[in-house]
Amino acid sequence: MNDPILRFLIVDAVALLLLGAGTSLLPQAICGLLTATLCGLSALLCLPPLFSHAPAAPLSVPVGPPGLSLHFALDPLSLFFLLNLFVAGTAVAAFQSTVVQPARIHPTAWCVAGTALSLLAADGVAMVIGLAVTCASAGYRGRRLPMLAPALLLGAVCLLTPSGYAPRFDAIRAAPIDSDHATAAMVLTVAAVGALVWPDNSERCWTRDALTAGVLIPFSSYLLLRLIADLSAAAAQPWWGALLLLAGGAGSVVAAWRAAALPDIDTAIAALLARQAGLAVIGVGLAMTARTADLPAAAAFALDATCLTALGTSLAGTLLSLSAHTIGTSAGTYRLSRLGGLVHAMPGTSAALSAGLLTASALPPGLGFAALWLSFQSILSAPHTGGVLSQLPLALIAAAIALSAGLSTAASLRVVGIAVLGRPRTPRGAGAGESPSTIRAILLLLAATALLAGVLPGPLLRLLADPSIDALTSLPPAQGFGLLSLAGASPGYLIVPLLALLTLAVGAAWRVPRQLRKPAKPAGPWTDGMQPPIGLPFGDPAAQSSGAGFLPALPEIALPRPPPLPSLPRTRISATFPGLWLLLAGFAALLLALAVVG
Amino acid sequence: MTFVLSLLAEILHIGLMIAVAPAAAGVTCWLDARLAGQSGPPALLPFRDLARLRRKTPMAIESVSLVSRLAPAVGLGVTLSAAALVPTFSLGMALSPLADVLVIVSLLTVARVAHALAALDSGAALPGLTQQRASALAVAAEPALMLTMVALGLMGGSFNLDLIIGQQREGILLPAAASAIVLTAVLALAFADLSAPCRDSDQAFGAIDLALVRATGWLRRLVWFNLIGALFLPVGMANAESGPFAWLVGLAAWTIKLGAFLLVVAGIRVVAGGSPRNILPDLAGVAALLALLATIMILASAGTA
Repeated sequence: MNDPILRFLIVDAVALLLLGAGTSLLPQAICGLLTATLCGLSALLCLPPLFSHAPAAPLSVPVGPPGLSLHFALDPLSLFFLLNLFVAGTAVAAFQSTVVQPARIHPTAWCVAGTALSLLAADGVAMVIGLAVTCASAGYRGRRLPMLAPALLLGAVCLLTPSGYAPRFDAIRAAPIDSDHATAAMVLTVAAVGALVWPDNSERCWTRDALTAGVLIPFSSYLLLRLIADLSAAAAQPWWGALLLLAGGAGSVVAAWRAAALPDIDTAIAALLARQAGLAVIGVGLAMTARTADLPAAAAFALDATCLTALGTSLAGTLLSLSAHTIGTSAGTYRLSRLGGLVHAMPGTSAALSAGLLTASALPPGLGFAALWLSFQSILSAPHTGGVLSQLPLALIAAAIALSAGLSTAASLRVVGIAVLGRPRTPRGAGAGESPSTIRAILLLLAATALLAGVLPGPLLRLLADPSIDALTSLPPAQGFGLLSLAGASPGYLIVPLLALLTLAVGAAWRVPRQLRKPAKPAGPWTDGMQPPIGLPFGDPAAQSSGAGFLPALPEIALPRPPPLPSLPRTRISATFPGLWLLLAGFAALLLALAVVG
Repeated sequence: MTFVLSLLAEILHIGLMIAVAPAAAGVTCWLDARLAGQSGPPALLPFRDLARLRRKTPMAIESVSLVSRLAPAVGLGVTLSAAALVPTFSLGMALSPLADVLVIVSLLTVARVAHALAALDSGAALPGLTQQRASALAVAAEPALMLTMVALGLMGGSFNLDLIIGQQREGILLPAAASAIVLTAVLALAFADLSAPCRDSDQAFGAIDLALVRATGWLRRLVWFNLIGALFLPVGMANAESGPFAWLVGLAAWTIKLGAFLLVVAGIRVVAGGSPRNILPDLAGVAALLALLATIMILASAGTA
């Protein structure tokens, strides 16, 4: 069954590429609807092979120089991330069809097509070509950092490819890999992931933000899993795990701190989502630590956490980016200190934003908490041997995960408390209107899916991610559906009974006092017991918290100033569409590298 | 039969929590005053406060949203759920499989977030600024608490509270030095949490909602007492299937422990005075470092064992 589905998905990716290129020929709305339809259809087609656990089916496409062809395959890992990709792509494209925005190419179609090609790729060339297309579309407005990613990934693939072979994944898995080459490839992959997902606030662009959140960050998890946990696994060194843990921990804490400090709603959300990429690196690091100690159960916990993080980012990331754009457009500003009271003006969008923040932060019963619980479960099951030095990264990463969770809670509280609740801080904000019903429906559907995923993480993992995790960890397939617990061993994180308990307790706390209370008397807003200022009968809205003090003050450390570096000549790419040049240059460099290695 | 007994023990435990939380708050205030040489308010004053607040006519402020109306109930319900998961007099209660330490500390965070959202929703300056400061404090305190629970989980080999307490009772929660450091960190966090000012943020509530918020605060204090008592002093705790007589023994032991806790807390308050607001972040930071130290010790000792 995989063959026709694989063929359809490749054709679909090509169709999306053509659709993206033909934006000028078609109206924006039709282009968006076609993209959404193609993405939705592809998402549905990913389900049968995922549920049937069908084996991988390779396919060679004779494209390229003589003697070389592009190889594609569908395996459980690709399918899981393809499903995430197409769900996010459907939402972004459907959203895009409702707004008028001039664009030279259709970034969503190109981004989804490139990422789909990368996910379907069974060789390094196809993967890099897909990534180049993705980066060209996602970074098409003022963002240059992702342009480095294809080059870095190309280097990683070249290092992993055995001498005298084509860079096919099956050849890489079968051949022995030099450990130095594998280490360099791992570092390049992490660098590529960093370049791909690190938020760049040079220019505001909601499409880029939504695609980064919904497509690029989950895709970066795939790159880590494919290149480090799958292809390089045979040459993995024991210290790889520590390196990945430290990189992921630092990234997640810094990103979460920025999320709680940045003044605009969209940049704060982008930073909150960049934290998810750090968590993905931590997950892969924990998995590598466990695998090198031959503890597949601990590795499975870590990979489960990585997959849940990717799923949560795909759903909540798209939702949050689209909600932030809707709010910014309607209220006329993205600055948190000028928003407020949107729960009255935009109740549907506010509810969707809150649901997304619950999923992205680490509070129960959200998906983020399930991932956090699995990460700690992995630390609990990790190898505890080797003395202080080898255990220090594990202790530090436990602290980093906890700190990152605390910071993400503060960031989410700040966004909801300042932007959504309270009173409007400006007349323009007070005049914000609810988004159109189509946009609201997209947001609420995404919110409902994210909340449902938080309630049923066990069955989702079992159905969607377990085949790939079993393949990566060589564990036998688990039995049952894991309806109550994330972990196979009881007791675990039993979300359904816990939710029942919470519903019962909150319901009782809500209902019982209501039976006893007197009817409420209407009153004006509370102004701290004082008369409201003249001209502001509802109090001074600027007296509310502006969102600036949600973080503790850091101690001031006087660091020596580095000497000023000589200014280097900066070259600017004059072309408006550097991605195509990059694509060509990358492909040429790959051919050159292949020629050099034989 | 075992299930029925565990269910009965759970119901008794929840009823006990609801009844004892205001009484413990009243006794604490009375002890504070007595140790300071004053006559002190009646120990049952919190119950009277609740009844008084229930009789007051609530104000429906136009500018607030559904969040403000739901938040007191959510805070109380979530804290009550956390209280139901932390055992007092008996292990093996009906909800013990749900009693994951990470879940319990996260539920306390959810309750804090619910109240913070209501305070920010009120649009008033003082409650919002208070919650802003509370959030800054929580950035250090809540990760520290989570890390202490991870350290306990690493010692016990599980995050289930009943299993950790069971190991503590048998004296196999090792190393002892790490256990002592974790206890110090938890005590510091409890002190920081319970000393955080809440009067300013209470301005956002009135009448029955204020009663719910006050009850949440008292219940939260009891959760801290129970958590510390069960984890570090699990003396006299019964097993749910042992039956009512063993429960009575467990109840007596818990009452003594609670009384001793209240006395110690009142004594610390009298000796040390009110804790200045600006030392609370430092206290949480020290607790975080202690928790990290304990985690390193546990992992390193496991490696050399």
